[in-house]
Amino acid sequence: MIPEEWRLTQDRADFLFDLLSRGVLGLFIVLALFPIYWMVMISLRNPEEIGTSDPSYFVLSLDELRTVVFEGDLDLLASEVDFANYVDMWDQIPLLEFYVNSLIIAGVTTVLALAVAILGGYAFSRHSFPGKRYIGGALLATQMIPGVLILLPMFLLFIWIQTETPFKVVDTYHGIIFVYMTFTVPVAIWMLRGFFDSIPASMEEAARVDGCTRFQALYRVALPMAAPGIAATGMFVFLTAFNEVLFAGILAGGEVTPFSIGISRFQTQQTTYWGQMMAASSVATIPIIILFALFQRPIVEGLTEGGVKQ
Amino acid sequence: MAGSNFDIRQRISAVTDRVPAVRKHVPSLGIGDRLPFYRRLSGGQRFAYRLLLPALAAMTIVHFIPILWGLTISTMGVDLTYASHWYDAPFVGLDHFRYVLGIENFDDVLVSDTVVGERYRNALKNSVIFSVGTLVVTYVLGLTAALVLNQKFKGRFVARTLLLLPWVAPVVVSLYVWRMMFTQQGIINQTLLTIGLIDEPMFFLIGDNSMWALIFAHSWTQFPLVMIFLYAGLQSIPKQLYEAAAIDGAGRWGKFRYVTMPQLKPVSAVIVLLMLLWTMINYTAPFVLLGGAPPKQANVAILYIENYAFGNSQFGRGAAMSVVLFLIAMVMAMVYYRYLFDDETTGAGA
Repeated sequence: MIPEEWRLTQDRADFLFDLLSRGVLGLFIVLALFPIYWMVMISLRNPEEIGTSDPSYFVLSLDELRTVVFEGDLDLLASEVDFANYVDMWDQIPLLEFYVNSLIIAGVTTVLALAVAILGGYAFSRHSFPGKRYIGGALLATQMIPGVLILLPMFLLFIWIQTETPFKVVDTYHGIIFVYMTFTVPVAIWMLRGFFDSIPASMEEAARVDGCTRFQALYRVALPMAAPGIAATGMFVFLTAFNEVLFAGILAGGEVTPFSIGISRFQTQQTTYWGQMMAASSVATIPIIILFALFQRPIVEGLTEGGVKQ
Repeated sequence: MAGSNFDIRQRISAVTDRVPAVRKHVPSLGIGDRLPFYRRLSGGQRFAYRLLLPALAAMTIVHFIPILWGLTISTMGVDLTYASHWYDAPFVGLDHFRYVLGIENFDDVLVSDTVVGERYRNALKNSVIFSVGTLVVTYVLGLTAALVLNQKFKGRFVARTLLLLPWVAPVVVSLYVWRMMFTQQGIINQTLLTIGLIDEPMFFLIGDNSMWALIFAHSWTQFPLVMIFLYAGLQSIPKQLYEAAAIDGAGRWGKFRYVTMPQLKPVSAVIVLLMLLWTMINYTAPFVLLGGAPPKQANVAILYIENYAFGNSQFGRGAAMSVVLFLIAMVMAMVYYRYLFDDETTGAGA
């Protein structure tokens, strides 16, 4: 027989359940953070150590860790943490160029896509007009198109422009930016529509009564109020453009190679410079994570808005 | 005067076009119905069209025209010779489609081309496995994470932020990290060796395991999205439903089974469809994780098409392959919707 004090009462069951769900949460956090942690750890390691079979999960091996913690040997820690990768990576490949290209491409894409999508998103949120359903459906349908189906004609078009007209589009900033901008506009419109929906229209109506034109009501009244949502959408667009590899590889692989394509050059025929690759990755990732931490509330709301409402 | 009639109509519609319910009851003036389309619009509607114009123009150039164009060149023999003047390429009808779908073999093409059709169909199968596999993994991970996040505890906001990081970190970077961890000397092999689960390093990125590695790495970058959708869905479930279920004697499982899951159905429907389609046409994950020469077990269609079309300058046939992939995605979406909305029990799905 189970002793009285061991019996599973409601309180105890609740406690056990909470314990279990905290445990699962902990597991998920470890799962989510480990690759990011590992990226930073590998980047701080001495390049010669990376390939060795010492499975330590820290820059120090277990013995070294013991020395540092129990004997306070901070010099050992300092000697083991190695910033060589962060120094060498710039010379290994033209990394700075890749970063700058990515910043220009993704940055200009973001500004242009936002300019177009703010207008479109506002129209969708505030007005009803003939064909709204179809245009909205077309926006979403663009999300199912495989990239190569667009890329093949685009490639032929770019080649044709390049050879038959005096304009240069292959491997230029404006060529790839134009493609990215249009790619991101449908999602940006969808997100911004949700943000405008969450702002009451009464302020704009008041502004209209006071003599503003419709456009003034949009950019003087609605725009400032939607600023967090616009920032969130902007970050989404930026990340999409930053991560793109399919179009970048074909249409911008040479002089304007972005980081997403250029990073693969750490892998050569002979060897892979994992340490330097991870150092370059950390440099790209950490600012993005900080930006996300700042804007996460509107980003998360904007993402889920459309899905939950439908 | 005709003009004054028009002014009246415009003034009425200025009031009524915001309120569709009222609009129905305003009698038609008759004259407005005969005006051209653009003049029939209210000021607000014209304004909306003007705002949408840049977006529609850009999408026409980069989406709608290329799709029609892609359909066109999928019926033409566009290869390297015709790359800069595709319009001169010969019309081949549906030959490309018959060929890539294996309906017919052609004598006039290279011998090795027979293999291409087979590889392509194998790649299509891989795409479906990749898509469904990712869906299952992300949904299970996302739902579990959303459920544990949905309880009240200190630091929930921090936990949510941390769980979103895999999705925030640049995908290209994350996938290279996974690629590194999956190597023979990588941390996953090292850990498994230390625990003693395996005796010698496994190959994750080549051979039979590569599809699993691909699904798992891609799911790692995507599960936070599923999680946040389902979490938002969980948050919007009215508390009264749980109270009512408790009165009816439902325990934890009962509440989950009869309240949570049915209430999550609409949100799930959206995210399931998005995950299926997005994974089906995802290029970044297989490209970064498996590189230029992917193993045949994990060579998904979009990767194969890109490699084949640009590697062999077979743009016409590549377009035909992409059209087939697009149609499969469309059919999947339609079958899914039909199933979802015909199912009486979903109710809330619409």
